[in-house]
This record gives sequence, C-alpha cells and structure tokens, in this order.
Amino acid sequence: MAKSSSSDAQALIRSLRSAYAATPTNLKIIDLYVVYAITTAVIQIVYMGIVGSFPFNSFLSGILSCVGTAVLAVCLRIQVNKENKEFKDLSPERAFADFVLCNLVLHLVIMNFLG
Amino acid sequence: MAKPFAALAIPLFLLSVVSLLSLRCGAFSADRPTDRRLLVLVDDLAIRSSHSLYFSTLQSRGYDLDFKLADDPSLALSQYGQYLYDGLLLFSPSVQRFGGSLDLAGILDFVDAGHDLILAADSSASDLIREISTECGVDFDEAISFQDPAALVIDHTSYAVSETEGDHTLIASDIFIESTTILGDEKIEAPVLFRGIGHSLNAANSLVLKVLSASPAAYSANPATKLSSPPSLTGSAISLVSIVQARNNARVLITGSLDMFSNRFLKSGVQKAGSSIKTQSPLLFSFGTALVLRSEKSGNQQFLTEISKWVFHERGHLKEGECMAQVFLSMNFLVKEYSVEIYEWSGSSWKPYVVDDVQVQFYMMSPYVLKTLSTDKKGLYSTSFKVPDVYGVFQFKVEYERLGYTSLSLSKQIPVRPFRHNEYERFITTAFPYYGASFSTMAAFFIFTVVYLYNK
Repeated sequence: MAKSSSSDAQALIRSLRSAYAATPTNLKIIDLYVVYAITTAVIQIVYMGIVGSFPFNSFLSGILSCVGTAVLAVCLRIQVNKENKEFKDLSPERAFADFVLCNLVLHLVIMNFLG
Repeated sequence: MAKPFAALAIPLFLLSVVSLLSLRCGAFSADRPTDRRLLVLVDDLAIRSSHSLYFSTLQSRGYDLDFKLADDPSLALSQYGQYLYDGLLLFSPSVQRFGGSLDLAGILDFVDAGHDLILAADSSASDLIREISTECGVDFDEAISFQDPAALVIDHTSYAVSETEGDHTLIASDIFIESTTILGDEKIEAPVLFRGIGHSLNAANSLVLKVLSASPAAYSANPATKLSSPPSLTGSAISLVSIVQARNNARVLITGSLDMFSNRFLKSGVQKAGSSIKTQSPLLFSFGTALVLRSEKSGNQQFLTEISKWVFHERGHLKEGECMAQVFLSMNFLVKEYSVEIYEWSGSSWKPYVVDDVQVQFYMMSPYVLKTLSTDKKGLYSTSFKVPDVYGVFQFKVEYERLGYTSLSLSKQIPVRPFRHNEYERFITTAFPYYGASFSTMAAFFIFTVVYLYNK
C-alpha cells in the first residue's frame, strides 16, 4: 500500500507539473506575483506574533496591502484566462485597466492607514 | 527745660512717623517673615529695667518693643481686623485677667493667625497663664495650683551654688536639645540658670519640643514644706524651656522662669555643683564632698538670644521658590521632570537652602514613586523619572518637616493620559517591517505591470 500511495503521489505531482507547464506565460507571471504577495503577508504575521501588535494600524495596513494585491491579481488572472467561458466578452486590456485602477485605490488607502 | 524739648518735639514726631511708616513696610509678611513689632505685657514696669539686657538685645536686632501693663485697659492686639503686633511676650505671670479687649481666646487667635509668642511664668503663675500654656500643649505642674502654690523645680545635684539661697531651687541646666537651627551654630558652653516652675509635655504631641530639660534628679515641690507624698513631676519629664511650632508655623516659647531673662541671671557666673568634669579655665575647689565647676558667665544670654532668634523667625524659616514640572518623551518613554527651589530666611534675606534629603512623591491615592531630589548646591532641587504605566491625575508632593524648620508642604497636580494621536513618534521603529512590506508591494505591483505588459 505504501509503495503504491507514494508512487501515486509522485504520479500526481508529475501530472500537475506537466499540466502547469502548459499554461501561458502571462498567467505564470501573475501566479508568481500572487505567491510573492502571500509570502510577504505570512512574514508579517510571523513578525507580529513575535513582537506584538503595538502599532496595530500599521500591521493591518501591511497585511491589507499584500492580501489586497493578491486578490486583485487573482481577479486579473481569472478575467484574462482564455479558458474561462464567463469572461469571453471582456477584453484583456479592460481587465488590466481595472486591475491597475483598483491597485491605485488600494495603495492610496494603505498609505493613509499606515500612519 | 521745656523749650529745647519743645523745639525737638516736632522733628522727633516727624522722624517717628517716618520710621513707623518704614517699619510698617518692613513688617511681618510672607516675604520677610521676621517679626518686627512686639508687645511686651508685664505685671510691673520695673521688669523693664530689671530685664533690660534681654530687651536691649532684642531692640538691637531691630525689634520694636511696646511695653504695657497686663491689666492696662487700652490693651488691644488687633484693630479693625488687622493685628497691631507681630509677636507677643507675656512676662506677666500673675495676671488674672488681661485689660482691654485681650483674653485667652484673643491670644490663641493671635497664635492661630501665625504670630509668635513667648510666655514666661514663675511660681506666682495665675490660672490664666496656665490655661494659655495648656492650650499650647505645655502643662505646668498641676499639683501646684491645688496643693502647693509655691512649688518650684528643685535639683539637689545640678543646682547653682549661690550665696543667699541654699535651698537648691536655683538650678543650672545644660541639657539642651540637639539642634543648630534652634540653638545656633555655637555650642552653649555654660549652663543656663533657672529658677521657677517646671512643666511637662504630652508625649503624644509631636509639635512641642523640650529645649532645656531638667536633670534626672530634679523634682517639683515646695522647698519650704516637707513632702508628704512623692512629687508628681520628676526627673527628665520636667521641661524647663519648651517650644511649640504650630502647623501654621507660628512659634511659641514657654518657660517657667521669668528670672531666667533677668539681668541678674544674664550677668552672673555659674557655679554648678556636682559636676566632675575638668575644663581649662575653671576655679576648681571642693565644696563639701562635691567638685564644683565655675563658669565666668552663665549661658543665659547666649541661650536666650539664640532661641529668640528662632522664635521670631530669624532662623529656620523656609519657603519655596519656583516649582516646575514638565513632561517629555525620551527614548520612547514618558519622563517627568520636577524641580523646586527652596530658600531659607537668614534674618535679612532669602538664602538658598542646601541639604540632601528633600524627597518628592509622585502620588495618586498612594505614592507610586518616591525619590530623593538631587541638589545643585544652590537651593535648586530636581529629579526626573519614568512615569508609571497608570493613567490618572497625579500630584508631585514635597512634604518636608525637619526639627526646628518650618514645614514645607508643596503639591503640584499633573495629569497622565494616553497619547493623543499626534503625540506619537512620527515613524515607529517596531512598525518598520510593515512599512517595508507596503512599499515593497507597491514596487512589486509596478514591476509586475511592466513585465506583464512587455512580455512577448
């Protein structure tokens, strides 16, 4: 049983990798950006766990900036992905413009709340 | 005889008016606490000449003495609500009732208003004088008034040898209180002559002090009659001269011997019996079985001069000057700084008061911080400390009470509250990772757009 499960896991990972390799480059770039944002968020949470939440507004602001851009990037990826049937009529340029505007608003809020 | 006197009368009058005016300006006030105008009540105006040495030492220090008989019908301490005198000397032990508008309540109000009093009784002390001293905290020997009106303090070991009286009622005492504020810097070498009644102090009273005590062998009794029962007042419980410093800093001196102030005692030498200490210039000879020590002059003059300096606020009077409390941020902690100036009156001017034991409390219902203030040797005391982590309205309290000095009780209120939103530091150190994260996200967003758009 163990051998088969480990070989099953390996087969699963291999198939995931090969499927992922087939995605278009721009989606991969978006994925990289999301991973970066989430990593930064995790680092901040670990730091807060160590030091304490003294300037809580700064903590929230930092977390929000990471999580917010991650969410917006995920929305962009959904809208830009050609395999999505829902967003067939939405041009990728429009999606990207929305992404940029929302990010601008997000960072404005962040700068104000950072203290 | 009358003519030159008349010619002098007008300029004399003008001079006295002018001097009175200037004296009035220099009278007792918070800025100049030394008394100026003293009322001396006597039984008999002969005291004016028999105690003239003492009075002239007072007058030479600038006091204005006003001699009146104790039952003078024109006596008045205050007029139209203002006190006419800054100090009172009651040298009238046998007065039953004061003349004029003065009575026990009037004298007590006088002291309660912050003025000073010297009261000298003797074996003829009346009930009125005893009542006044009881109100001040000093009890004259009560047995005297009921059983034996002529009881005096007798000491068979510390008496002063005298040619006329051999009943050992003239005692020579040198048991002084240890205080340079009250008795001056110079040690009083010669003993003080005393002849009169003794008094006792209530041990629970913290405001009275014994300045001159009787030796442990003294007792209070009538020298002429035989003792039927042990005397009630004996030993070191007998105080010969006591002082009271009231809570409003009025000072009272009470003693049972009017003769102590007399010229005879001030000028006479002292032969103290029973002392076996050798000094450099005595005339030692044996007297019966005891060694006798002789001083050229009694310590009365020095003792009385120094203690009246203290009673009339020429010494030991403190006041506070500038008092400052401020708060500032230092290294992310709230630090309070407190400083106060203390001055001591030297008889003519305010001098800085330099000691090293003034303490301040940071107090809200109970002291949170108690610190000794550090001095810069010029009368300025200061300290700074970190504020405790409790919000509320605190007080800086300085309660300074030392033997012989007026009590200082200062307080300054200061609130401790949370920071207002604009009182924090501009950039908080612990929040730098968050700042970094936000800016790095912005940078990453910018780089991402560039890469995404120009990606082939």
